[in-house]
Amino acid sequence: MSNPVIEAPPTAAAVTWQEGEVLARRASARHKRKRLALLVAGWAAMLGIWQVAAYYLPFGTLPNPLEVGAEMWDIVAGGALVSDLFASIAKTAVGFAVAGAIGAPVGYLMGRYNYWKAFFHDGVTVAGTIPALTYAVLSLIIFGLSDLGPVLAVALVSTPYVALNVAEGIRGVDQSLVKMSQAFGRSPRQIRREVFVPTIVPYVFAAIRMSFAVAWKVEALTEVFGGTNGVGFQIRNEYQLFNITGVIAWMGLFIVFMLLVERLVLRKLEQRVLAWRPDERAVQ
Amino acid sequence: MTQTVTRRRSAEEMAGDAPAWRGRLTSNPAARSTFYVAAFLTWLLLAALFERIPGPASVVDRLIEEFRRGEVFGNFADTFYRFSIGVALSVVAGILIGVLIGLSPMARAFLESPVMVGLSIPAIMWAFLTVMWFGFGHMSPIVTTFLTAVPFVILNVAQGVQGVSRDLRDMSSSYGIPLTRRVRDLVLPAVSGYVLAGVRFAVIMGWNGVLLAEWFGGSGGAGYRARYWYDANQFAGFAAWVVLFVGVIIVLDQLVFEKASRRAFRWRDQTH
Amino acid sequence: MAVLTVKDLCKTFGAGTARSNRVLDHISFDVRGQTFVSIVGPSGCGKSTLLNIISGVEDHTSGHISVTGDSGSPARLGYVFQDPRLLPWRSVRKNMLYVQDSADEAAGTRVDRYLDMVGLSKHGDFFPGQLSGGMQQRVGIARAFAVEPDLLIMDEPFSHLDAITARGLRAQLQEIWSHSKKTVVFVTHDVVEAVELSDRIIVLQPGGKIFEDIEIDLPRPRRQSDPAVATLQAEVLARLENMKALTPTVASAV
Repeated sequence: MSNPVIEAPPTAAAVTWQEGEVLARRASARHKRKRLALLVAGWAAMLGIWQVAAYYLPFGTLPNPLEVGAEMWDIVAGGALVSDLFASIAKTAVGFAVAGAIGAPVGYLMGRYNYWKAFFHDGVTVAGTIPALTYAVLSLIIFGLSDLGPVLAVALVSTPYVALNVAEGIRGVDQSLVKMSQAFGRSPRQIRREVFVPTIVPYVFAAIRMSFAVAWKVEALTEVFGGTNGVGFQIRNEYQLFNITGVIAWMGLFIVFMLLVERLVLRKLEQRVLAWRPDERAVQ
Repeated sequence: MTQTVTRRRSAEEMAGDAPAWRGRLTSNPAARSTFYVAAFLTWLLLAALFERIPGPASVVDRLIEEFRRGEVFGNFADTFYRFSIGVALSVVAGILIGVLIGLSPMARAFLESPVMVGLSIPAIMWAFLTVMWFGFGHMSPIVTTFLTAVPFVILNVAQGVQGVSRDLRDMSSSYGIPLTRRVRDLVLPAVSGYVLAGVRFAVIMGWNGVLLAEWFGGSGGAGYRARYWYDANQFAGFAAWVVLFVGVIIVLDQLVFEKASRRAFRWRDQTH
Repeated sequence: MAVLTVKDLCKTFGAGTARSNRVLDHISFDVRGQTFVSIVGPSGCGKSTLLNIISGVEDHTSGHISVTGDSGSPARLGYVFQDPRLLPWRSVRKNMLYVQDSADEAAGTRVDRYLDMVGLSKHGDFFPGQLSGGMQQRVGIARAFAVEPDLLIMDEPFSHLDAITARGLRAQLQEIWSHSKKTVVFVTHDVVEAVELSDRIIVLQPGGKIFEDIEIDLPRPRRQSDPAVATLQAEVLARLENMKALTPTVASAV
């Protein structure tokens, strides 16, 4: 690749404006088709490697994709999915709400005032580096076998993310806009609403997307250690029965759910809220 | 017509009347020490409230005990051996794949889904599976560390390579600068910070991975030892090990990566 | 009737320390209502500092400064900055409404009127990111006029634009100003621009003293091509050359 800048080869010269429009549309459709094909190829390659690995690994240690797919279908059709998946989602959501309620104000203080930045800095850094295993076991020690364990673990692991991102967002506020607002005599409340909040929205989205991925893992982990229901609980059950197909099937269902939430909910929501950004518009 | 006069006060008029002791109390070192005192008091309070939470005294006791028995160094040597091999592999593989994704939109379309899936597979799954595949031994923690860390390295490196803005690339290719110099002078300085962030993420994720694999693996290591105390219902022993492996990761993170990333992002911070 | 009164104004950075630096040195002047006054000077003469003190962003060390308004208390100020400083997440129209004190119908019509004056009535629902730099600066100017300020402060508003865009905007500014007759303090380092736009030019010299106070008595609208304008521009420039000769340290700064 000698020149990575030029991505699309020049098409035949358009005679009229309308023709140019048509050509451009065709080129973009071709580009889209190619992307889709590669996306499918990516999935196919993944499943292919899995299939090959399942073939060569000792019998019973890695079921092939088809077996897992059948098991996933059984779980969905049997109705077990709904109750356990929702139990896990509910716990993650509550834990995340707690993280937001604590992390956002802490982040605001850290971004706004030097004193609070110095005060919280070490704590937030340390909390962010502590292995998730610690949070899971700690929550279990505190609450025993209860739904509160996973909630606490999710809250503990997500709070530093929220705080750090909100703080970064506040520091990313364009001071020239703040000065402009003050010059025109806007009240602190107006400046908060019109300058600060819109600035930190993208950072909050980043925090949600990042900790969403981390939070559910910790939630599942805590359930594996000592849950009474939920996906992690099911994974442990299957593991104890040495049913690897069941373990992978449960995990696969959760991953499918995660990807759906990420693609269909978070990304769409972000595009709508951030419509003012030139690069976001280009994506649509 | 109601006329009003807005007069600006001069600095001489605004007598500075903030006392000196307030300045000292609100300084950064004071804020940090206040935090540590507050955190310690919270620990004491929690230990007093919940019977199951061990207090500082019993944790320190256990810690000394573990050192005296010689459990600490042997187990940490095991853990470090597995951890460093896993992380090193993930960094090498992650940089290669990340650069590929960052440079070519087609590679991105192809590899995006596998990386997304990799990101959402929890470390515990890898711990379960690798124990089944490779049995108890070094292999399971190493592979777990590698597999949990590698998607994060890929993601960060790809982001960095893409972040070498179009302008930079346009400019350099239009002036006919050869590829090797372009990579050395433009891509590397801009990307190194992201690579470092990726490695840092890999270290944090990999540390969790190795501990989990050891927890379930039963072949020694810090994770195994922590589980030993947990299973024995000796939470002070567990907490002592938590202190150890949290301490290690923080020392690693702060002393090595914090300094290195400050260096790598120097070009960016100075423009502000 | 003076809208802006400045008397014996001094500003020293790091007062009392070894590195103390006096940037404004006993400055006194008045600005009458409905006049367009330019403050001109080489970089480092304290223009920006003076502007910051007028707008209240910075404190002064000693002296007196006041803004008299008839729109209530405190006096209402309008600003045009070097860069447009628009909220990127709000539409053009909402950006202008943001700095209005009330969100009533009168504010809305005022905003529309000034948006129309800068020729952007069709772009009210655009985001700033969708406009060119020149258009954004026009929004900035319309925004400042639309608050109907007692004193309008403009800080080198055309210095970041290309020459042709800047010329178009100067013509537009003259037109809006002759309609609204707001009191304007216009800071620039460009003498030619100052002569074209102002009723009066205050020239600052390095060290923060007033070097000269020049009345410009030419009929409006003024055009660059007008010989009277060109002659006066040349004359003022010649006088400034004189300042360079008097204060050799600035020779390199201008």
